[in-house]
Amino acid sequence: MRDSLWILGFFVAGIFLARKEAVPATLESPEASLYALWLFMILAGISIGADKKLVSILKSLSFRTLLLPVATTAGTFAGAAVAALFVALSLPECLAVGAGFGYYSLSSIFITQYRGPELGTIALATNILRELFTLLLAPLLVRFLGPQYAISCGGCTTMDTTLPVITRCAGQEWLFPAIIHAMILDLSVPFWVTLFCSL
Amino acid sequence: MYIALLLMLAGIIAGRICRRHVSHRILAPLIFCSILFLLFLLGAQIGVNERLFANLPSLGGDAMILMALCVAGSIAAVKVIMSLAGSAQDKNER
Repeated sequence: MRDSLWILGFFVAGIFLARKEAVPATLESPEASLYALWLFMILAGISIGADKKLVSILKSLSFRTLLLPVATTAGTFAGAAVAALFVALSLPECLAVGAGFGYYSLSSIFITQYRGPELGTIALATNILRELFTLLLAPLLVRFLGPQYAISCGGCTTMDTTLPVITRCAGQEWLFPAIIHAMILDLSVPFWVTLFCSL
Repeated sequence: MYIALLLMLAGIIAGRICRRHVSHRILAPLIFCSILFLLFLLGAQIGVNERLFANLPSLGGDAMILMALCVAGSIAAVKVIMSLAGSAQDKNER
């Protein structure tokens, strides 16, 4: 949660300083964020590749473990498609925002780069709200629906910010499915977001 | 557009090859700082854009609708897929 507050703080600071005309013009250019995004993608890739647990986790995947991220992906896209009827965004834009699965930093950065800051802001807010919703309602989801529902609701966040609340409510046996679920979604975010932004 | 994906793939391969030399203690703060920097830039792009800044409340409304429907869709899909998987398993057991 502390990391989320830092991220929100920097986002708000960017707005505030730009309003006060205290941000250098070079930082406001699209090239600056493009190069920063490329650097981020290389670092994120190295982090994934260097993860010593990655291979063992991928080897241990069973069909049933894979069902949960499939359900989250399909359900999120279905929900985003319905949302396109109510908001002033196109279907691919709604799908791109939904494809963040709660991974607000990566999805909003990608979407800003390819579709502009307006959609990037919607992606940031949508995916932060998804994390907040899961943090607040995971106990109720586990109690009245079941642990799978809380994990699905959390999307990519179930291996970091929402993992403690989910395992506390659902039990330690849900630790592994929650991490696998988030890892698969995490890896799929750049692919889905790029795909929908290119439509 | 796909350059970013290719760079990530290159990073994964580089990370896999150099995994013995990569320190997550150094890498994790670097990644976090780049995220903070990128979101600062996103904020700055909104701050300098008068129309976008004025539209922030309506963007928040759109975000709320999208979040609610994405979460509702996920919950419904888990219900459907788990019940399908459950009935398939029951058939196999019989």
